[in-house]
Amino acid sequence: MKKILATLLVACMLVGSFAGCGSKGDISAPDSAVPSGSNSDTQKNTSSNETKNVNLTFFTGKVETVDLIDSIIADYNAQSNGVKVEQEYQADASNIIKIKFASGEAPDVMTTYENEYVDQGKYLDLSDMNEWWDRLIPSMKDSCTDLNSGKQYRVCTNMTMAGFFYNKEIFDSLGLKVAKTWDEFESNLEAIKAAYPDVDPWFIFGEAWHLGHLIEFLPHGYIKAKYGAIAAKEAMLNNDSSILKWGDPNGAMCTFAKDLVELQQKNLINADVLTATSDNCIDAFVTGKCAMFSNGMWCLSSILEKDPGMADKIGFAPYPAFMDDGVPVVLVAEDSGYSISADSANIDAAKDFLSYLFNAENQKKYAESLGSPSAFKDVDANWAPESVVKGVNEAVESATNIGFTNEKPAGFSGDDAGRYVQDLLAGTYTPEQFAKAYEEAWNAGF
Amino acid sequence: MKSKKRSYAQFLSLPALIIYAIFFVYPLLKGIGTSLTDWDGMSTPHFIGLDNFTAFFKDARAIHDIKTTLIFALASAVLLNVVGLIYALLMNSDFRGKGIARVIIYLPAIISPLIMGYIWYFLLQPGRGYLFYAAKQLGLPDLIGNWMGKYSSSMKVLVFVNVWQFAGMTMIIYLAGLQSIPSELIEAAKIDGAGNIQCFFKVTIPMLMPAIRINVITNIIGSLSVFDVIMSLTEGGPGYATESLSIYIMRMCYGSRTGYSTAVAMILFIIILIPVLISMRLTRQKS
Repeated sequence: MKKILATLLVACMLVGSFAGCGSKGDISAPDSAVPSGSNSDTQKNTSSNETKNVNLTFFTGKVETVDLIDSIIADYNAQSNGVKVEQEYQADASNIIKIKFASGEAPDVMTTYENEYVDQGKYLDLSDMNEWWDRLIPSMKDSCTDLNSGKQYRVCTNMTMAGFFYNKEIFDSLGLKVAKTWDEFESNLEAIKAAYPDVDPWFIFGEAWHLGHLIEFLPHGYIKAKYGAIAAKEAMLNNDSSILKWGDPNGAMCTFAKDLVELQQKNLINADVLTATSDNCIDAFVTGKCAMFSNGMWCLSSILEKDPGMADKIGFAPYPAFMDDGVPVVLVAEDSGYSISADSANIDAAKDFLSYLFNAENQKKYAESLGSPSAFKDVDANWAPESVVKGVNEAVESATNIGFTNEKPAGFSGDDAGRYVQDLLAGTYTPEQFAKAYEEAWNAGF
Repeated sequence: MKSKKRSYAQFLSLPALIIYAIFFVYPLLKGIGTSLTDWDGMSTPHFIGLDNFTAFFKDARAIHDIKTTLIFALASAVLLNVVGLIYALLMNSDFRGKGIARVIIYLPAIISPLIMGYIWYFLLQPGRGYLFYAAKQLGLPDLIGNWMGKYSSSMKVLVFVNVWQFAGMTMIIYLAGLQSIPSELIEAAKIDGAGNIQCFFKVTIPMLMPAIRINVITNIIGSLSVFDVIMSLTEGGPGYATESLSIYIMRMCYGSRTGYSTAVAMILFIIILIPVLISMRLTRQKS
């Protein structure tokens, strides 16, 4: 009896093991005849009748929009003709999408976007979607344009800005003005330190992405402002050392490092810079323990959530010019981008869903929920308190607008750059060694 | 009859064999193949021979990470055994509340190292951590330094947290070893005139050798593949100062160097294999 039982159990386990090896059933039968891997729309176009019973996957790494997108998806699913959209959120989306591409399980629609995937033909060309582009602010369309091909592979529905958030009360009490040059900036910090010894004039937190952003907005920002967006992008794409000069002792990278170390030595930045977190920074700002910090609009909702009364105290300033021939800069970049997989078997359904998501009503809700201005001309959203919007608009108008560096080497991420700043602030490198090490890491990343 | 029995045994072992082949043999062979390519995780891989392996030994960051991993593993192994043995000796003696003390010492071992790392991070944050506020209340605000912001001290913090968490596990093995030593042996040594220290070094330690062997080897193996405690406490920083080989592999893999990262994983496999082989050899000698 025992033997029979053992034999049956083993047989069951074997059957169970092999059951997992079967091929996945095709859920969306009407699309199964479409050849995978082709970029041709005509091959994949299905009539509206054929989009019945389509399961569309929407992949995102934006935790702050999950609930809102879920509610928009629920509305879309209720009115769509058999198309069912399902959202998948992953905290580590930029890495997980790579695994999905590699395993041939790319989602139909995604918010993750990398230049290297464009080069590998992973995204659908959206250049002919005039119904979207005609509504978009022209500069945002430019930001969505791939430099190599001149085509658009993603649509960005919002804009974001980054600069210095400062406490207007502290600035007003000392009669300080927004700094245009690094000397003015440093003297502002010194004045704050002298008047308020318990306040950190500039709060920097040690998370790699944040320190990487300092490089992005200051030395990279200098290159982008000096040479213009396109020439700077080309220089980065081609690793043109005559323009970038990362390792030059008189270049932007070394000057940035010298300035940062000087501020650290003068105690003008917080002492726990390497271990402080972004939450610590928001706490310090809200409680008046720091006068200013660098960040993007994405942190605005956290500040106002902690203390809605901060709305009237928040000032926003551009990054001051830290090079002799530099100018103040402020990041005005694309945000909330959407792409469709080139291998998607549900291209029409994906476009239909995005058109629904992009309608003015949904985009107003989205911009107000995210706290980020819409990139659509026909969307009038109250994305932030009026006083904040006014300050941001003034900063944007008063400085050179720069975008994000999407053209950096694939093997050298923004976080990697931030780790070099950690080493600089930990005293591992002198500014000259830092600039040299950065250049070597940048070159090795190509 | 004998061959029928053997066939039946082979049949029964099939499910385990299949699972082993799918989850160990296949990935290992696939990994060896990938380590010989320039695969970036996306495009078509090309065979490049041993280039990834030679590149590894020319990479200063990789060599630094080997050193970091070895320092962490050896320091952790030594301290885990010393602390675990002291705990075991204490728990082997009679005192009130022994049961509760044992639970308290063992408890951290059942919590995820990632969670434990974050707990210690918020305890040790200079100027704003819980221990800082406790020290401030005692009038010692400078007691908690910026330990996670410097290489020398951040490595000590990592080893301390690892030892604090897993010393209870080491203690359990030593305790089992201590309780299996016949009391007659100790009594006989004492009748022969041996003092407590002599008894400990001449009787207890030799009798504990199997437990010491198991603990040392398992601690080294576990510490060589350390990942989570470092990620939660220092993220391998400042810079790359406390980056372990496991973290390096992960970062290279997601940094479009999948073939290279697989080669590094093979090297880590060999590094871990060394103590395993030593352990197997010692065990065979003993038997």
